[in-house]
Amino acid sequence: MARITAGVASSHIPLLGVAVDQGKAGDDYFSPIFKGYEWTKEWEKAEKPDVVILVYNDHASAFDMKIIPTFAIGCGERFKPADEGWGPRPAPDVEGHPDLAWHIAQCLILDEFDMTIINEMDVDHGLTVPLSMMFGTPDAWPCKVIPLAVNVVTYPPPSGNRCWALGEAIARAVESFPEDLNVQIWGTGGMSHQLQGPRAGLLNREWDNKFLDLLIGDSDAARHIPHIEYLRETGSEGIEMVMWLIMRGALGKATKCLHRHYHIPCSNTAIGHIVLEPIT
Amino acid sequence: MQDIHAYLAEFEDIPGTRVYTAKRARQGYHMNQFAMSLMKAENRERWKADERTYLAEWPMSEEQRQSILDRDYNRMLDLGGNIYFLSKVFSTDGLSFAEAVSSMTGMTFPEYRDMMNNGGRSPEGNRSIKGGY
Repeated sequence: MARITAGVASSHIPLLGVAVDQGKAGDDYFSPIFKGYEWTKEWEKAEKPDVVILVYNDHASAFDMKIIPTFAIGCGERFKPADEGWGPRPAPDVEGHPDLAWHIAQCLILDEFDMTIINEMDVDHGLTVPLSMMFGTPDAWPCKVIPLAVNVVTYPPPSGNRCWALGEAIARAVESFPEDLNVQIWGTGGMSHQLQGPRAGLLNREWDNKFLDLLIGDSDAARHIPHIEYLRETGSEGIEMVMWLIMRGALGKATKCLHRHYHIPCSNTAIGHIVLEPIT
Repeated sequence: MQDIHAYLAEFEDIPGTRVYTAKRARQGYHMNQFAMSLMKAENRERWKADERTYLAEWPMSEEQRQSILDRDYNRMLDLGGNIYFLSKVFSTDGLSFAEAVSSMTGMTFPEYRDMMNNGGRSPEGNRSIKGGY
């Protein structure tokens, strides 16, 4: 049977993709950021996941204002890096896992999560930057990827509680897939950042670290954090952290922290990264 | 069930922030779709050749058009723009995200960059207008 063996969370700042693509990861500005991912790169080489369910948000690349799905699952064979206005990233195409993706989509809908199914779309930095941070610069990504896009741009985004419950339902769906697969779930985005208005540039080290603490162990307090708290404490774009709760929800009652990294700043944003294992 | 009116009212209490609510999404629909059109190279060329003529093709208010021509990002947000869509405008201008963001803060780009490198803007006093915390 397929099983979720680990959860990974990471910021997905576009500038990190630029740093990777232009070979700048070792310079003074970027090296403290990339050092925090070295442990994970080695760990991923040993773990060899078959599939990653990658929770992210699209940033005006695949979706414009015409259609705004709250939760969308990529069921296609292949997804290309998006042209975000300056040409697509020179990153490998993302290979999907349509069998597992369609299985999860069907299970979620029966479980009362009315998913949007996407067969064709390009994937932007929200999805490709975490792959680069965890896997480096291979010619092909070492695993299949199921994109799971969440609306965190147009209000209201889904509640933290709903995200957590979706994670729980994803775990049930994966466990009922007959093939023996090592599946990881990643939550991306965040941490504190605000990209708009006179308050832009807000960062909150203390709150971000409290949030990281809440993902470890058997607390489920994070699922009840209201949107207004993310907005006030972590800036308007900090709301992306609700996507981390899909990852956390999928890991079950309790988690163990394998690795953790926090760094300020990268461009406008606080970088956070955590690797969790379910305690069964 | 959460009360939608109470939910939306709280957003007005955050200093220096425009939350992208349904009201803004409706008001700014064509402004944001205009910005998205700049994803295509041929549209960028037409836009650069004559901004005013290009804008005239989109059913926007004159205020919205003027805010775009002025690159007044705070004003664009007030009129329903969203920063992820508007990023296509400043990318076409050759500005980085951080530089465009700094233009909304009343700081120069070097001042903004220094603030970020020194730990960013503190949440202290920036969480609530009414509460002042």
